[in-house]
Amino acid sequence: MKELRRNMRLIGALVVVMFIALAGWFAMTVYTQGAIWASDAHNTRLAASNTLRGDITDRHGNLLATTASDGSRQYTQNEQARRALSQTVGDIAGMSGVGVETFHSSELMDISTSLLDRLSELFHGADHMGSSIQITVDGRLQAAIAGRFPAGYKGAVCVMNYRTGEILAMVSKPDYDPYDIMSRSDAQVEDTAFLNRCLQGLYTPGSVFKIVTLASAVTADPNVITQPFTCAGVWEYQGGRVVCAGGNAHGDVDLKTAFKKSCNVIFGKLAYQLGLERLRATAEAFGFNENFKFGDFVVYNSSFPKDVGGMSELVWAGIGQGQVLVTPLHMAMIAGTIANRGVMMKPMLIGKVVNSLGVNTAVGQSAVYRQVLSEAVAGKIAEYMYETVQSGTATRARVQGYAVCGKTGSAEVSDDKTVETNAWFTGFIYDDAHPYAIAVVIEGGGAGARMPSQLASEALEWTIKYVG
Amino acid sequence: MSRQRTDAMKRALMRSNTRLLLTAVMLFQFAAMALIAFQSGTVNRQALILAVALPTVTALTAGIMGRIWPVDRAILIMVLFLCSLGIVTLSDIARSDVTPRTQAIYALAGIFAMFVGAAFIRRFTGWQKYYRALMVLCVMALLSPYLPVVGIVKHGARNWVGFKSLSVQPSEFMKPVMILCLAAGFANRPRFVQCIPTLAFAAVCCAVLLVQRDLGAVLLYFLTTVLMYYAATSNAFITLSGLGMGAGAAVVAYRLIPLVQTRVALWKNPWSDPTDKGLQLVQALIAIGSGGLFGMGLGLGRPRSIPLYYSDFIFAAITEEFGLIFAIGVLTVYVLIIMRGLIVAFNARTSFHSLSSLGLVVILGLQTMLIVGGNTKLIPLTGVTLPLVCYGGSSLVSTFFSMGVLLGISSMNAEDEARDIERIEMREEI
Repeated sequence: MKELRRNMRLIGALVVVMFIALAGWFAMTVYTQGAIWASDAHNTRLAASNTLRGDITDRHGNLLATTASDGSRQYTQNEQARRALSQTVGDIAGMSGVGVETFHSSELMDISTSLLDRLSELFHGADHMGSSIQITVDGRLQAAIAGRFPAGYKGAVCVMNYRTGEILAMVSKPDYDPYDIMSRSDAQVEDTAFLNRCLQGLYTPGSVFKIVTLASAVTADPNVITQPFTCAGVWEYQGGRVVCAGGNAHGDVDLKTAFKKSCNVIFGKLAYQLGLERLRATAEAFGFNENFKFGDFVVYNSSFPKDVGGMSELVWAGIGQGQVLVTPLHMAMIAGTIANRGVMMKPMLIGKVVNSLGVNTAVGQSAVYRQVLSEAVAGKIAEYMYETVQSGTATRARVQGYAVCGKTGSAEVSDDKTVETNAWFTGFIYDDAHPYAIAVVIEGGGAGARMPSQLASEALEWTIKYVG
Repeated sequence: MSRQRTDAMKRALMRSNTRLLLTAVMLFQFAAMALIAFQSGTVNRQALILAVALPTVTALTAGIMGRIWPVDRAILIMVLFLCSLGIVTLSDIARSDVTPRTQAIYALAGIFAMFVGAAFIRRFTGWQKYYRALMVLCVMALLSPYLPVVGIVKHGARNWVGFKSLSVQPSEFMKPVMILCLAAGFANRPRFVQCIPTLAFAAVCCAVLLVQRDLGAVLLYFLTTVLMYYAATSNAFITLSGLGMGAGAAVVAYRLIPLVQTRVALWKNPWSDPTDKGLQLVQALIAIGSGGLFGMGLGLGRPRSIPLYYSDFIFAAITEEFGLIFAIGVLTVYVLIIMRGLIVAFNARTSFHSLSSLGLVVILGLQTMLIVGGNTKLIPLTGVTLPLVCYGGSSLVSTFFSMGVLLGISSMNAEDEARDIERIEMREEI
């Protein structure tokens, strides 16, 4: 019996400990994920509840979404603006899964309100009022950029303030009209229109990735900038070859010229010289292969190959091809890091959350995400990017009276040349009074990146005009 | 004279002060049912009747059972609380009044079964003689769904028998029977060879249930057997190899049974198919999340969007209505029952009674963990019931019977202890 009691004590303790673990797990998941579960689009309680959703306003306080007195949800009146903001603001049907309406519905509906508030509402018979959210986006700016986006093309434009991390515009084309969804006639919605390409579009970066390769090289050896390189237009190496755009030979050049002319051969060689480890370390410092959890929104994770089979993949990774994938938002963050003296800011979308009583329950705080590069290296790259806009591949991105720095890219998305390349521009205004970084991608926009550079120039000009 | 003294003493021994607990439970029952009765414009008459009936039945049951035998009243009251929580929740969320009414009738049958269970274990002295016959009976009962006419298939499992509207689930009713058989087989510290018939019996039970696709029950029977075997023999080697075999069988089951694969896949990512296969779990999580810390409030939640909200997912429904804190409280009540039950097992005078109490407590605990873990996405969902709370007659009556057995053993402990004290006193007097 003594032994039996001992065993029973053991088993009893085991069962009780398991129960405590279960209760702990339960409490923890509900505490951390409960609001996310509750705000899921499949929650029928949201649509049926008598909760009045709070407003969504832009950075200047302009209404982007509000609940009318009859309880219906209203969006911006102008159709073009409504469409331009569609994926950013979202819709109550939850079609755009990353919009504020969906991702922040627990705040908009104040699901986490305290017991006391609920009791008082119960006694007063009042409708439950949700909180209002002010986002950092500028509605006019976003609508203007969307209006200038080349007709018929798909793509994205992301503008952010690199000193604070505030996202100022997230244009994603094609877009949709939330009213179409609400009237349940989704026939007019274009394919993939619900995607917010700034956050959910994983693109091959192509030459814009050379910023990362350059950063890695200069960090590893500051003398690399004086090293002579030769480009014969084609580089044949064991197991493959790299060609410069149009097969042009850039000749004997230094790194600055190679960068501003976007020389594939020299950057391929540079990647090879660096080796996978160092290049990957820099890419990961920039946030590649990282599980982004910024809190304000969902963004897909960018990737850089962990392991390469051979030399070819390393060389291609160095010029942003192969298995390298990035979102436009992340690309804007990378450009912003160069401008912000090597410091990457945490991107933010939520300016503040104000509850129904007018009390600020949350205020967006800008925060340093990480020091990625030394100030000296960042300054050097900014100089190269400035040259690129002054006399390199990105001259169309110039803005009168401002120091624009940038880099273009044409990313090949298929092995044969039948599909038009994705055209990229990423850059920034190098000015602490106007600290704006931008990334533009136009799917099938063609080589030379004329369209995105042009659009970026206009977008930056409007940003100065509207945001200040 | 002596007899009277023993009675007085055993009462005193078992009368931990449960009056406060009883009052609290009765208040909860009354307040909750009254709230449901008056929450809409028209008075819900059935709820009003239950508002009076639930506390009355609780008080009467606790009073009568406590008078007849010196049982552990704390366990008794907590069991009645959980049962009434089921009736309250069903009154609130079920689509029709029939569901809570049926559950209330089942509960009355269950209370009767609890008295039967207590009386049975107190008289069941010939267990050594009869337990083998009981084993045969148990296996036959488990096989009964294969009988023509009365066998019924529900939710893809062939584990029901019945006529017309009355149907029962033998695997539920056989739980306490099987535990008594195992306790008898493992009693008195047997060697491994002596255990073989008992283990074979357990294996046959598991095999039958496996064929019937009652996977939750298989898991419960298996784990309980292993734990009881370990408690009885301290044979860690056999226990661990048994667990290893079980793990191997689980892998084989995963490979061979598509249902298991689906369950595991849905557990890993229910959001992959939120409107069809993942619907249950996604809606359960949404309900739990919507409840938050304090719940949507009784009658204010909408747990009906969860399929099977009244049975498999009643815990999610309770969390939505009453909130996280209350749900943790419910888990605490289970833990308290388990801990009191373990004390009963410690104090029992024979290894048979010790093992029986342990088995009943362990199966209650495991079952609760399986279904609560399944509701909260900790483990893949298995279709076992939340004991005493979830809708269903077989499970409720069977669990009440089990608790009756546990209470019966607790009363025997109290009597034995009273006798001991008396003996000591007599010796001192001499």
